[in-house]
Amino acid sequence: MSRQPDGLAVRGRGAGIDVPRYDAYRRFRRRAALVGVLLAGIAGLFGWRLATLQLLDPDRFVAHGELQRIKTVPLQAARGAIVDRNGVDLVLSVPRVSVWANPLQVEDPVRAARVLSSVLDADVSLLEQRLSKDSQFVWLGRQVSDETAEAVLRLGVVGVYFDEEQARVRPGGDSALAVLGRTDIDAKGISGMELVYDSLLSGTDGEKIVERGLRGVSIPGGEYSVEPATHGRTLVLTLDRALQFEAERLLIEGVELADAQGGVLVAMDPATGQILASTTVRRDEDGLVRTSSEHRAVTWTYEPGSIIKPLTFSGVLSEAVAAPETVREVPGRLEVHDATFKDTPAHDPEELTVGDIVRRSSNVGTILWARDLGSEALHEEFREFGLGSVTDLDFPGEARGILEPVGRWSGTSLPTIAIGQGVAVTPLQMLTAYATLANGGIRPAPTLVLGTRDDGGMFSPRRVRPSMTVVSAAVASEVVAMMERVVESGTGTKAQVAGYRVAGKTGTAWKPQSSGGYGSKGDRTYVASFAGFLPAEAPRLAVLVVVDEPAGHSYSGGRAAAPVFAEFARFAVRQLRIPSVDERIGLEHAGRVMAMTPARHRILTEAAEAARLEAAGATIGG
Amino acid sequence: MTAVLGPERLPRSATDRQISGSSTRTATRPAVGVLGALAVVGFFATLLSLAAFHSIVVSGQFEFDRLQGRLEDGHERAQVLRAEVARLESPSRILEVANGRLGMVFPPARVYLPSVTLNDGPTNLKAPEGDPFSGSTR
Repeated sequence: MSRQPDGLAVRGRGAGIDVPRYDAYRRFRRRAALVGVLLAGIAGLFGWRLATLQLLDPDRFVAHGELQRIKTVPLQAARGAIVDRNGVDLVLSVPRVSVWANPLQVEDPVRAARVLSSVLDADVSLLEQRLSKDSQFVWLGRQVSDETAEAVLRLGVVGVYFDEEQARVRPGGDSALAVLGRTDIDAKGISGMELVYDSLLSGTDGEKIVERGLRGVSIPGGEYSVEPATHGRTLVLTLDRALQFEAERLLIEGVELADAQGGVLVAMDPATGQILASTTVRRDEDGLVRTSSEHRAVTWTYEPGSIIKPLTFSGVLSEAVAAPETVREVPGRLEVHDATFKDTPAHDPEELTVGDIVRRSSNVGTILWARDLGSEALHEEFREFGLGSVTDLDFPGEARGILEPVGRWSGTSLPTIAIGQGVAVTPLQMLTAYATLANGGIRPAPTLVLGTRDDGGMFSPRRVRPSMTVVSAAVASEVVAMMERVVESGTGTKAQVAGYRVAGKTGTAWKPQSSGGYGSKGDRTYVASFAGFLPAEAPRLAVLVVVDEPAGHSYSGGRAAAPVFAEFARFAVRQLRIPSVDERIGLEHAGRVMAMTPARHRILTEAAEAARLEAAGATIGG
Repeated sequence: MTAVLGPERLPRSATDRQISGSSTRTATRPAVGVLGALAVVGFFATLLSLAAFHSIVVSGQFEFDRLQGRLEDGHERAQVLRAEVARLESPSRILEVANGRLGMVFPPARVYLPSVTLNDGPTNLKAPEGDPFSGSTR
């Protein structure tokens, strides 16, 4: 029902219609239509835009959306640890925080550098330079301690961020550093075992693809896939941490005592060639003797001197030139071409057996027998013992030594080389030669690696390199017997170890001068050494001790090196559970038991399994 | 508002209403209403169930993320502790503590006692009586 105002009503045709209101109504309709069209236009625009986004070019926006939601998280493969033969950690990776900055976000680089330098213990100008760069990323501190990271966090500097990295740590400090080697800041091996087995230790990175919403929360039912990282394998070395530490300690003591410039000690299981300890020490510029980061047991060549004589006589006995009890007259001095060779101490001509010559380390006697053996045979014998060629160790920087071919020998080469001068060897070559004699004439392949262990703990033994027969067991036994007499009553009495029969040989070599020659009496420098093994009747430990440039009266191998050998051997026989003569008699009693640690039991079990697999492989391979 | 005048509609007679509506309206209206109400209730109940299910899934995802984070933290912590154990057990640290903090010195000569001496056969020890580890024998 409409109401009509008085005086405005129109009579006649169209009576009842209010004209002004009708106009208003029409205007309203026009406006409504206009607004409708406008809204429809806007809706059309939205529709067109929607169609453009959804139909015409959807991929770009889908990709943009995925970029916002789907994150690829790298899964960093942990670098494998390096452990000793008993499973003790020598090197391992731990998570550490690194500090970085986005210089474009740092408001006041000068002030930020000043406050950060005190916490990060870094140079202010260096930090300021980095923070002022026109870059979005600069490192401020790599692999800092948790305390440092917290201190940086407390500073609240805008534009400073944190990232997690894996840092390489050696819990034992610099012990065995020369063997273990180093990695760079990005955990890539750059020396030692870290370099040789870098690919095994590194592993393979993985990645996780995950769909994330606000604040990084995973979207349920969203994209999720994981390619797990393959962690690096654990490298199991042949080293024994306790032996390694004791070797370092005793060698430092021995070098200090001999007032020498350095030294090398290498210990090996002669049956397997497994290196149990290997250390190098050097006297630094400050006069202190410290362990060196250079593995001189394989990188350093030196003239070995008299410790080569057992190898010479091994050739003499092998070629049946003489027997251990063969007697010959040995003068106190001998002229060969333009050189004179003398025995120390000087003596008149006397009748000496081959065994006496070795026991007294007679240069003249050795040269006489070497001449009977001949250059070719001597060279061949040394070559078969491994002199002049790299070992199977596969260690970076390993030296070959110097053993000239016979064709390049001079008139004095034979007598000189027969007594260990004019020939250069690495300590490891020399020890391997001694291990050959200890091992019944079979030369073992020296190794530093027992095998690897995967993430699940499965052990894979290293493939054992084939051994090589150098001399017969009978000859080796005869040489060992002669070497036993060296320790019993010869030049190596200080190498005796109570309860054990020790075989060994001393060496006191002249060191070549940089100006050429060996210098004259009074200004000569020496390399003192002792190589030996025990128990002589069934050797389980071969050790070489080399003392470089000992000074004073204790410059001989018998005085400078043999005591270090004895001290080390006394410790090693306990650590390796090598029973003494008496203990072995005791072991033969019925009902006697021997305690065994879980670690040792595991190693023996694994070794037995490895041997079984090896045998099976050999059978399959024919 | 403009009103358009038209012929006045006559109300239907009561008889008409009774004849035409008595059989259909009274039977269908309540059924449609109930069905509509049920549909609405069902719709909202489904929405609620979906929301509840979604919240369970989301909370499960939260828990999964949290556990994964804890697992990673645990791995890292284990690695740090492993390094710390190795450091504490290292001979160099033990020697440092022995020489420094504890003031110990090396003996002038070390004597290693052999575990077996010649002609010293193993002796059969008498087994302890009772349980040596029980409280009564302590």
